[in-house]
Amino acid sequence: MKLISKKLRKDALYLSHKCQDGNLQSVFSCLDIVWTLYDKIMNWSPALAQDENRDYFIISKGQATLALYPILIEKGFFDRETVAGEIGQFDSRYCIQTDLTKFPEGGVENNAGSLGHGFPFAAGIANARKIQKGASQVYVLCGDGEFCEGTMWETCIFAADKKLDNLCVVVDDNDSVGAMVSMGSMKAKLESFGFDVFDVNGHDMDALEKVFLQAKELKNGKPKAVIAHTVRGYGSATMTEQDIWFHKAPNADELEMLMREVDEF
Amino acid sequence: MRRAFLSRVADMIRKEADTTFFTVDIGMWAIRDVLAEFPERCTNVGIYEDGMFSVAAGMARCGLVPTIFGIQPYLIERTLEQIKMDFAYQNLGVNVIGTGAAVDYPKYGYSHYCAEDAQLIKMIPGCEFIAPGTAKQFIQLFNQSYRNGHPTFFRVSDHPNTEYDVDVEFGKANVIQTGSKATVIAVSVMLDEVMRVCKGQDVTVLYYTTLEPFDYETLAKHCPSGKILVVEPEYEGTLLYDIHKALPGRPLQIEQVAFPREIFRNYGTYQEKMDYYGLTAACISEKLHALI
Repeated sequence: MKLISKKLRKDALYLSHKCQDGNLQSVFSCLDIVWTLYDKIMNWSPALAQDENRDYFIISKGQATLALYPILIEKGFFDRETVAGEIGQFDSRYCIQTDLTKFPEGGVENNAGSLGHGFPFAAGIANARKIQKGASQVYVLCGDGEFCEGTMWETCIFAADKKLDNLCVVVDDNDSVGAMVSMGSMKAKLESFGFDVFDVNGHDMDALEKVFLQAKELKNGKPKAVIAHTVRGYGSATMTEQDIWFHKAPNADELEMLMREVDEF
Repeated sequence: MRRAFLSRVADMIRKEADTTFFTVDIGMWAIRDVLAEFPERCTNVGIYEDGMFSVAAGMARCGLVPTIFGIQPYLIERTLEQIKMDFAYQNLGVNVIGTGAAVDYPKYGYSHYCAEDAQLIKMIPGCEFIAPGTAKQFIQLFNQSYRNGHPTFFRVSDHPNTEYDVDVEFGKANVIQTGSKATVIAVSVMLDEVMRVCKGQDVTVLYYTTLEPFDYETLAKHCPSGKILVVEPEYEGTLLYDIHKALPGRPLQIEQVAFPREIFRNYGTYQEKMDYYGLTAACISEKLHALI
């Protein structure tokens, strides 16, 4: 695992410890994807946070919102110790889900928390940017389990009908849905709805970069889907093996143990 | 009223490049020209209320002014979480225009009735609810509010007032007449029926077309008796919270003419329903005289 992957995971652990909440399995599952988008793909920087032609990152699988803070800290948009000192406090701007009304300077694009909302919201942004003849690409991170929500498939119809080739839905496919229903082939389903679909290892940043660039360059009137195959809790042996870490915050001893695991991963 | 609003929307789409209109497969014939001329901004999105609300919120996030048209129960009840999360929580302005409430599709059954629309929207902070009584009032209220950056819900009725068509202002109640014995609150399309009873009587009549935000000030200034008759084409009790909030600490005697809180399992005509549930001049008269 790359050093940056370890650093982001350790920051996520630290923030989860500080606010004593979080869905770390889900956060670890998607961190490599989100970092690749911010670092290699998106037209985004702190200076562009309110630029109308910026690229958008929408988090639809709200339980992984904690992944956003380490990345925006690394990009210099948030101060690590400020976030750590305030996260989860009564009057804080920073918490397990985000509230964009608390970030007038930008950086937070949507309020997540309820599944099945971020994808259509992102489609609305992509559609608006088409109408406005803007250059923005819109990336939306969804969980595979989230595709049990009907609005996800309604949005597929809308995105294909509106030819939103500036929209890329990223499925953090950590096989959550397998514990619920037999979904069948996500790739075949999305293709049948009119998406260009790419499969990739969601923890291989080089492969992710290559696929995202391919998807971005393909301007053919079809929305894009990147199915990123991931592992819940990837980066910590304990977290991959023990599903209690879906919703659990580390105490001081656990923090030390998990930090060590990440370093040794 | 429906024709007036569709005409206003068509005009908006033609003249204002930052506006969009989505119909949930209704009213297309009336706006077929703009649907053909502006396919990007004026679209029949299909039967897609809940996701459509999130899409509209995303468009508002980028500075556009979206307006959605559909059937009231599907626009409000199927989408309640989208209204809360995508509109209200994110503080994004979208206009939602609904037809059918409360019982404008009288033969279609409970799926198409919506006497709870105003109360549901009023429960979500930051949302606005407008129920014009005439086509002219729809235009006035829409023009005053459609760009105000808030989620604004319009109830469009097929049974408007035909005798009383006063000018109205968003967020303000009209004082139709003043009197001392009671205050009658006439909501939306109930003004004609109220005035059939109250004209020439020694009672105050206030006319409300904006139900959220509620005009507390006008009621507070015009309730000398503490006796109030609410006449509203919604489930009974929709405005009770606001009435008490407008008149804190006052002992009040309140009567209501409104739909009872029950599932409507009957059909027939609009007028049959209004008669059955007592939203009539006769019932208004009876309750008013009992009150005073």
